Amino acid sequence: MAQTEIRVGGLGGQGVILCGSIIGKAAAIHDGKHATLIQAFGPEARGSACSAQVMVSDQPIGYPYVKHPDVLVLMSQDAFTQFLPQLKPGGLVLYESDLVDPRGALPAGVRSAGVPATRFAEELGRRLVLNIVMVGFFAGVTGLVPIQAVERAVLDSVPKGTEDLNMKALRKGYDYGREQSTQIC
Amino acid sequence: MALDSYPASVTLRDGSTVVLTPLQPSCSGALLAFYRHLPEEDRLMLRDDVTTSDWAEGFLRKVETREIISLVAKAAGKVVGEATLYRTLHGWTRHVGEIRVTVAAAFRRKGLATALAAAQVKIATDLGIEKIIVQVVDNQLAARRTFEKLGFHKEAILPHHVMDVAGMKRDLIVLANDVSQIWAAMEAANQDYAPHLG
Repeated sequence: MAQTEIRVGGLGGQGVILCGSIIGKAAAIHDGKHATLIQAFGPEARGSACSAQVMVSDQPIGYPYVKHPDVLVLMSQDAFTQFLPQLKPGGLVLYESDLVDPRGALPAGVRSAGVPATRFAEELGRRLVLNIVMVGFFAGVTGLVPIQAVERAVLDSVPKGTEDLNMKALRKGYDYGREQSTQIC
Repeated sequence: MALDSYPASVTLRDGSTVVLTPLQPSCSGALLAFYRHLPEEDRLMLRDDVTTSDWAEGFLRKVETREIISLVAKAAGKVVGEATLYRTLHGWTRHVGEIRVTVAAAFRRKGLATALAAAQVKIATDLGIEKIIVQVVDNQLAARRTFEKLGFHKEAILPHHVMDVAGMKRDLIVLANDVSQIWAAMEAANQDYAPHLG
Protein backbone atom coordinates (compact mmCIF):
# COMPACT_ATOMS: atom_id res chain seq x y z
CA MET A 1 0.00 0.00 0.00
CA ALA A 2 1.48 3.35 -1.08
CA GLN A 3 0.89 5.87 1.68
CA THR A 4 2.51 9.28 2.00
CA GLU A 5 2.44 11.24 5.22
CA ILE A 6 2.84 14.99 4.93
CA ARG A 7 3.18 17.70 7.56
CA VAL A 8 2.70 21.32 6.51
CA GLY A 9 3.95 23.83 9.07
CA GLY A 10 4.18 27.59 9.35
CA LEU A 11 2.54 30.57 10.96
CA GLY A 12 -1.13 31.45 11.13
CA GLY A 13 -2.04 33.73 8.23
CA GLN A 14 0.34 32.06 5.77
CA GLY A 15 -2.41 29.76 4.54
CA VAL A 16 -0.89 26.60 6.02
CA ILE A 17 -4.24 24.84 6.42
CA LEU A 18 -5.37 25.82 2.94
CA CYS A 19 -2.09 24.47 1.55
CA GLY A 20 -2.69 21.10 3.22
CA SER A 21 -6.34 21.11 2.26
CA ILE A 22 -5.53 21.66 -1.43
CA ILE A 23 -3.00 18.81 -1.46
CA GLY A 24 -5.59 16.52 0.12
CA LYS A 25 -8.39 17.64 -2.19
CA ALA A 26 -6.19 17.19 -5.25
CA ALA A 27 -5.43 13.61 -4.23
CA ALA A 28 -8.85 12.56 -2.96
CA ILE A 29 -11.28 14.44 -5.18
CA HIS A 30 -9.34 14.85 -8.40
CA ASP A 31 -6.91 11.92 -8.48
CA GLY A 32 -8.92 9.00 -7.12
CA LYS A 33 -6.80 8.49 -4.02
CA HIS A 34 -7.71 8.61 -0.35
CA ALA A 35 -6.69 11.55 1.84
CA THR A 36 -7.19 12.90 5.33
CA LEU A 37 -6.47 16.28 6.86
CA ILE A 38 -5.86 17.12 10.50
CA GLN A 39 -5.18 20.70 11.43
CA ALA A 40 -3.67 22.33 14.49
CA PHE A 41 -3.57 26.04 15.14
CA GLY A 42 -2.83 28.41 17.97
CA PRO A 43 -5.41 30.67 19.60
CA GLU A 44 -4.50 33.69 17.48
CA ALA A 45 -5.80 33.99 13.94
CA ARG A 46 -2.40 35.20 12.74
CA GLY A 47 1.20 34.75 13.71
CA SER A 48 0.91 31.67 15.93
CA ALA A 49 2.28 28.25 15.09
CA CYS A 50 0.02 26.33 12.80
CA SER A 51 0.23 22.98 11.06
CA ALA A 52 -1.69 20.55 8.93
CA GLN A 53 -1.28 16.78 8.78
CA VAL A 54 -2.15 15.29 5.41
CA MET A 55 -2.22 11.60 4.62
CA VAL A 56 -2.46 10.45 1.00
CA SER A 57 -2.93 6.77 0.21
CA ASP A 58 -4.04 4.34 -2.47
CA GLN A 59 -6.12 2.56 0.16
CA PRO A 60 -8.67 3.76 2.74
CA ILE A 61 -6.91 5.40 5.68
CA GLY A 62 -7.62 3.96 9.10
CA TYR A 63 -5.48 6.30 11.19
CA PRO A 64 -5.19 9.90 10.03
CA TYR A 65 -2.56 11.25 12.43
CA VAL A 66 0.87 11.93 10.98
CA LYS A 67 3.51 10.85 13.45
CA HIS A 68 6.52 10.44 11.17
CA PRO A 69 6.03 12.38 7.94
CA ASP A 70 7.60 11.37 4.64
CA VAL A 71 7.42 15.00 3.51
CA LEU A 72 7.65 18.24 5.46
CA VAL A 73 6.41 21.46 3.85
CA LEU A 74 7.71 24.28 6.04
CA MET A 75 7.07 28.00 5.96
CA SER A 76 8.69 29.16 9.21
CA GLN A 77 11.89 28.49 11.14
CA ASP A 78 9.88 27.47 14.22
CA ALA A 79 8.02 24.85 12.21
CA PHE A 80 11.35 23.58 10.86
CA THR A 81 12.75 23.24 14.38
CA GLN A 82 9.57 21.64 15.70
CA PHE A 83 8.86 19.12 12.95
CA LEU A 84 12.27 18.11 11.60
CA PRO A 85 12.86 15.54 14.39
CA GLN A 86 9.65 13.76 13.34
CA LEU A 87 10.75 13.26 9.72
CA LYS A 88 11.25 9.68 8.58
CA PRO A 89 14.84 8.71 7.77
CA GLY A 90 15.47 9.61 4.13
CA GLY A 91 12.43 11.91 4.12
CA LEU A 92 12.00 15.09 2.11
CA VAL A 93 12.01 18.66 3.46
CA LEU A 94 10.47 21.37 1.28
CA TYR A 95 10.93 24.82 2.74
CA GLU A 96 10.39 28.52 2.11
CA SER A 97 14.00 29.47 1.52
CA ASP A 98 13.72 33.10 2.65
CA LEU A 99 12.04 32.13 5.93
CA VAL A 100 13.74 28.86 6.80
CA ASP A 101 17.48 28.27 7.14
CA PRO A 102 18.14 24.51 7.24
CA ARG A 103 21.93 24.77 7.17
CA GLY A 104 23.66 22.30 9.43
CA ALA A 105 20.44 20.89 10.82
CA LEU A 106 19.47 18.27 8.26
CA PRO A 107 20.30 14.70 9.26
CA ALA A 108 22.27 12.55 6.83
CA GLY A 109 20.10 11.01 4.15
CA VAL A 110 17.38 13.65 4.36
CA ARG A 111 16.64 15.30 1.01
CA SER A 112 15.67 18.95 0.84
CA ALA A 113 14.72 21.73 -1.55
CA GLY A 114 13.89 25.38 -0.97
CA VAL A 115 11.74 27.87 -2.83
CA PRO A 116 11.54 31.65 -2.28
CA ALA A 117 7.75 31.39 -2.22
CA THR A 118 7.11 34.72 -0.51
CA ARG A 119 9.31 36.55 -3.02
CA PHE A 120 7.64 34.79 -5.94
CA ALA A 121 4.21 35.68 -4.54
CA GLU A 122 5.22 39.32 -4.15
CA GLU A 123 6.55 39.39 -7.70
CA LEU A 124 3.20 38.09 -8.89
CA GLY A 125 1.51 40.94 -7.04
CA ARG A 126 0.17 39.41 -3.81
CA ARG A 127 2.16 38.03 -0.90
CA LEU A 128 -1.04 36.21 0.08
CA VAL A 129 -0.50 33.53 -2.56
CA LEU A 130 2.75 32.24 -1.08
CA ASN A 131 0.96 29.12 0.13
CA ILE A 132 -0.20 28.38 -3.40
CA VAL A 133 3.39 28.73 -4.62
CA MET A 134 4.28 26.16 -1.95
CA VAL A 135 1.52 23.82 -3.18
CA GLY A 136 2.91 24.08 -6.71
CA PHE A 137 6.43 23.50 -5.43
CA PHE A 138 5.24 20.41 -3.55
CA ALA A 139 3.55 19.06 -6.68
CA GLY A 140 6.58 19.81 -8.86
CA VAL A 141 9.15 18.19 -6.57
CA THR A 142 7.20 15.16 -5.35
CA GLY A 143 5.00 14.34 -8.35
CA LEU A 144 2.67 12.77 -5.78
CA VAL A 145 -0.42 14.27 -7.42
CA PRO A 146 -0.72 15.28 -11.10
CA ILE A 147 -0.58 19.02 -11.67
CA GLN A 148 -3.98 18.92 -13.41
CA ALA A 149 -5.55 17.55 -10.22
CA VAL A 150 -3.82 20.22 -8.17
CA GLU A 151 -5.05 22.93 -10.55
CA ARG A 152 -8.62 21.75 -10.11
CA ALA A 153 -8.21 21.64 -6.34
CA VAL A 154 -6.87 25.21 -6.32
CA LEU A 155 -9.77 26.42 -8.45
CA ASP A 156 -12.19 24.68 -6.06
CA SER A 157 -10.57 26.26 -3.02
CA VAL A 158 -9.81 29.91 -3.73
CA PRO A 159 -12.30 32.79 -3.77
CA LYS A 160 -13.90 33.85 -7.04
CA GLY A 161 -11.90 36.58 -8.72
CA THR A 162 -8.57 35.34 -7.39
CA GLU A 163 -8.30 32.28 -9.62
CA ASP A 164 -5.94 33.69 -12.24
CA LEU A 165 -3.31 34.94 -9.85
CA ASN A 166 -3.54 31.76 -7.80
CA MET A 167 -3.04 29.66 -10.94
CA LYS A 168 0.02 31.73 -11.84
CA ALA A 169 1.35 31.22 -8.32
CA LEU A 170 0.74 27.47 -8.61
CA ARG A 171 2.49 27.27 -11.96
CA LYS A 172 5.42 29.35 -10.70
CA GLY A 173 5.96 27.01 -7.75
CA TYR A 174 5.43 23.92 -9.91
CA ASP A 175 7.94 24.96 -12.57
CA TYR A 176 10.50 25.84 -9.92
CA GLY A 177 9.84 22.53 -8.23
CA ARG A 178 10.35 20.61 -11.48
CA GLU A 179 13.72 22.33 -11.91
CA GLN A 180 14.73 21.60 -8.32
CA SER A 181 13.58 17.99 -8.42
CA THR A 182 16.45 17.09 -10.74
CA GLN A 183 18.97 18.50 -8.28
CA ILE A 184 17.71 16.99 -5.03
CA CYS A 185 20.01 14.50 -3.45
CA MET B 1 2.11 40.74 -15.47
CA ALA B 2 -1.45 42.04 -15.73
CA LEU B 3 -1.27 41.92 -19.54
CA ASP B 4 0.48 38.55 -19.82
CA SER B 5 -2.60 36.78 -21.08
CA TYR B 6 -3.08 39.04 -24.11
CA PRO B 7 -3.77 38.95 -27.00
CA ALA B 8 -6.83 36.83 -26.21
CA SER B 9 -9.69 35.67 -28.43
CA VAL B 10 -13.25 36.21 -27.29
CA THR B 11 -16.28 34.54 -28.86
CA LEU B 12 -19.30 36.82 -28.88
CA ARG B 13 -22.95 35.86 -28.46
CA ASP B 14 -23.47 35.71 -32.23
CA GLY B 15 -20.57 33.28 -32.66
CA SER B 16 -18.17 35.85 -34.12
CA THR B 17 -14.69 36.20 -32.70
CA VAL B 18 -12.75 39.30 -31.70
CA VAL B 19 -9.25 39.60 -30.38
CA LEU B 20 -8.52 41.69 -27.29
CA THR B 21 -5.06 43.16 -27.31
CA PRO B 22 -3.25 45.95 -25.47
CA LEU B 23 -3.06 49.12 -27.54
CA GLN B 24 0.21 49.38 -29.44
CA PRO B 25 1.56 52.69 -30.83
CA SER B 26 1.22 51.19 -34.31
CA CYS B 27 -2.51 50.82 -33.65
CA SER B 28 -3.17 54.50 -32.99
CA GLY B 29 -4.41 55.17 -36.54
CA ALA B 30 -6.93 52.32 -36.28
CA LEU B 31 -8.06 53.59 -32.88
CA LEU B 32 -8.54 57.10 -34.22
CA ALA B 33 -10.52 55.72 -37.16
CA PHE B 34 -12.71 53.77 -34.74
CA TYR B 35 -13.53 56.85 -32.69
CA ARG B 36 -14.07 59.03 -35.77
CA HIS B 37 -16.68 56.55 -37.03
CA LEU B 38 -18.71 56.70 -33.82
CA PRO B 39 -22.01 58.58 -34.17
CA GLU B 40 -21.86 62.12 -32.82
CA GLU B 41 -24.36 61.37 -30.05
CA ASP B 42 -22.03 58.63 -28.80
CA ARG B 43 -18.97 60.87 -28.95
CA LEU B 44 -20.79 63.52 -26.93
CA MET B 45 -20.90 61.04 -24.07
CA LEU B 46 -17.11 60.86 -24.03
CA ARG B 47 -15.05 63.21 -21.93
CA ASP B 48 -12.50 64.11 -24.61
CA ASP B 49 -12.67 64.99 -28.28
CA VAL B 50 -11.41 61.65 -29.48
CA THR B 51 -11.31 62.57 -33.15
CA THR B 52 -8.12 64.65 -33.07
CA SER B 53 -4.53 63.57 -33.62
CA ASP B 54 -3.53 65.58 -30.54
CA TRP B 55 -5.85 63.47 -28.42
CA ALA B 56 -4.39 60.25 -29.88
CA GLU B 57 -0.82 61.41 -29.20
CA GLY B 58 -1.63 62.35 -25.61
CA PHE B 59 -3.47 59.08 -25.10
CA LEU B 60 -0.50 57.06 -26.35
CA ARG B 61 1.88 58.99 -24.10
CA LYS B 62 -0.21 57.99 -21.09
CA VAL B 63 -0.29 54.38 -22.32
CA GLU B 64 3.51 54.42 -22.44
CA THR B 65 3.74 55.73 -18.86
CA ARG B 66 1.18 53.07 -17.80
CA GLU B 67 -1.10 55.79 -16.45
CA ILE B 68 -3.59 54.33 -18.91
CA ILE B 69 -4.11 50.67 -19.77
CA SER B 70 -5.93 50.45 -23.08
CA LEU B 71 -7.37 47.24 -24.49
CA VAL B 72 -8.68 47.27 -28.04
CA ALA B 73 -11.00 44.70 -29.58
CA LYS B 74 -10.16 43.86 -33.18
CA ALA B 75 -12.24 42.09 -35.80
CA ALA B 76 -10.91 41.58 -39.33
CA GLY B 77 -8.03 43.92 -38.54
CA LYS B 78 -10.29 46.79 -37.49
CA VAL B 79 -10.77 48.23 -34.03
CA VAL B 80 -14.38 47.57 -33.00
CA GLY B 81 -14.17 48.41 -29.33
CA GLU B 82 -11.89 49.93 -26.73
CA ALA B 83 -11.72 49.84 -22.95
CA THR B 84 -9.50 52.13 -20.95
CA LEU B 85 -8.37 51.80 -17.36
CA TYR B 86 -7.35 55.17 -15.97
CA ARG B 87 -5.34 55.35 -12.78
CA THR B 88 -3.22 57.84 -10.91
CA LEU B 89 0.25 56.61 -10.11
CA HIS B 90 0.58 58.75 -6.98
CA GLY B 91 -1.58 60.73 -4.60
CA TRP B 92 -4.57 59.99 -2.47
CA THR B 93 -6.55 58.14 -5.13
CA ARG B 94 -3.73 55.86 -6.26
CA HIS B 95 -5.79 52.86 -5.14
CA VAL B 96 -8.66 53.87 -7.44
CA GLY B 97 -9.06 53.16 -11.14
CA GLU B 98 -11.69 54.27 -13.62
CA ILE B 99 -12.88 52.21 -16.55
CA ARG B 100 -14.40 53.55 -19.75
CA VAL B 101 -15.71 51.25 -22.49
CA THR B 102 -16.73 52.12 -26.04
CA VAL B 103 -18.03 49.64 -28.62
CA ALA B 104 -18.87 50.14 -32.32
CA ALA B 105 -22.60 50.13 -33.03
CA ALA B 106 -22.38 46.95 -35.11
CA PHE B 107 -20.84 45.06 -32.18
CA ARG B 108 -23.29 46.05 -29.47
CA ARG B 109 -25.63 43.59 -27.72
CA LYS B 110 -23.16 40.77 -28.42
CA GLY B 111 -21.34 40.72 -25.12
CA LEU B 112 -18.28 42.67 -26.30
CA ALA B 113 -18.69 45.50 -23.77
CA THR B 114 -19.00 42.94 -20.99
CA ALA B 115 -15.87 41.13 -22.19
CA LEU B 116 -13.88 44.38 -22.37
CA ALA B 117 -15.13 45.58 -18.99
CA ALA B 118 -14.45 42.22 -17.32
CA ALA B 119 -10.96 42.16 -18.79
CA GLN B 120 -10.21 45.61 -17.39
CA VAL B 121 -11.61 44.70 -13.96
CA LYS B 122 -9.23 41.74 -13.89
CA ILE B 123 -6.28 43.85 -15.03
CA ALA B 124 -7.09 46.45 -12.39
CA THR B 125 -7.24 43.77 -9.71
CA ASP B 126 -3.92 42.29 -10.85
CA LEU B 127 -2.37 45.77 -10.69
CA GLY B 128 -3.42 46.06 -7.05
CA ILE B 129 -6.13 48.64 -7.65
CA GLU B 130 -8.64 48.33 -4.82
CA LYS B 131 -11.59 50.32 -6.06
CA ILE B 132 -12.85 50.80 -9.59
CA ILE B 133 -15.37 53.41 -10.68
CA VAL B 134 -17.41 53.86 -13.82
CA GLN B 135 -19.51 56.84 -14.89
CA VAL B 136 -22.75 56.23 -16.78
CA VAL B 137 -25.55 58.57 -17.81
CA ASP B 138 -28.95 57.74 -16.32
CA ASN B 139 -30.38 56.54 -19.64
CA GLN B 140 -27.46 54.19 -20.42
CA LEU B 141 -29.33 51.24 -18.98
CA ALA B 142 -27.44 48.52 -20.86
CA ALA B 143 -24.09 49.93 -19.76
CA ARG B 144 -25.30 50.11 -16.19
CA ARG B 145 -26.53 46.51 -16.26
CA THR B 146 -23.20 45.37 -17.73
CA PHE B 147 -21.27 46.85 -14.84
CA GLU B 148 -23.75 45.78 -12.19
CA LYS B 149 -23.27 42.19 -13.37
CA LEU B 150 -19.56 42.67 -12.73
CA GLY B 151 -20.19 43.69 -9.13
CA PHE B 152 -20.50 47.46 -9.49
CA HIS B 153 -23.11 49.33 -7.47
CA LYS B 154 -24.48 52.86 -7.51
CA GLU B 155 -22.34 55.05 -5.29
CA ALA B 156 -23.23 58.61 -6.28
CA ILE B 157 -25.57 60.62 -8.50
CA LEU B 158 -24.64 64.01 -9.92
CA PRO B 159 -28.01 65.53 -10.92
CA HIS B 160 -28.24 67.29 -14.30
CA HIS B 161 -24.51 66.86 -14.73
CA VAL B 162 -24.37 66.01 -18.44
CA MET B 163 -26.11 67.44 -21.46
CA ASP B 164 -27.02 65.16 -24.38
CA VAL B 165 -27.03 65.99 -28.09
CA ALA B 166 -30.57 67.43 -27.85
CA GLY B 167 -29.57 69.78 -25.02
CA MET B 168 -31.34 67.72 -22.39
CA LYS B 169 -29.62 67.62 -19.00
CA ARG B 170 -29.24 64.19 -17.48
CA ASP B 171 -27.99 62.68 -14.23
CA LEU B 172 -24.53 61.20 -14.12
CA ILE B 173 -24.30 58.02 -12.04
CA VAL B 174 -21.04 56.89 -10.49
CA LEU B 175 -20.85 53.13 -10.11
CA ALA B 176 -18.16 51.62 -7.91
CA ASN B 177 -16.68 48.18 -7.32
CA ASP B 178 -14.58 47.62 -4.22
CA VAL B 179 -12.38 44.86 -5.61
CA SER B 180 -10.25 44.83 -2.45
CA GLN B 181 -13.02 42.58 -1.09
CA ILE B 182 -11.94 39.85 -3.50
CA TRP B 183 -8.57 39.64 -1.81
CA ALA B 184 -10.12 40.05 1.62
CA ALA B 185 -11.82 36.72 0.87
CA MET B 186 -8.45 35.17 0.03
CA GLU B 187 -7.03 36.59 3.25
CA ALA B 188 -9.92 34.97 5.12
CA ALA B 189 -9.20 31.66 3.40
CA ASN B 190 -5.61 31.94 4.63
CA GLN B 191 -6.57 32.70 8.23
CA ASP B 192 -5.47 29.25 9.35
CA TYR B 193 -8.35 29.08 11.75
CA ALA B 194 -10.83 26.83 10.01
CA PRO B 195 -12.83 24.67 12.43
CA HIS B 196 -15.13 23.58 9.60
CA LEU B 197 -12.25 21.64 8.02
CA GLY B 198 -11.43 19.35 10.88
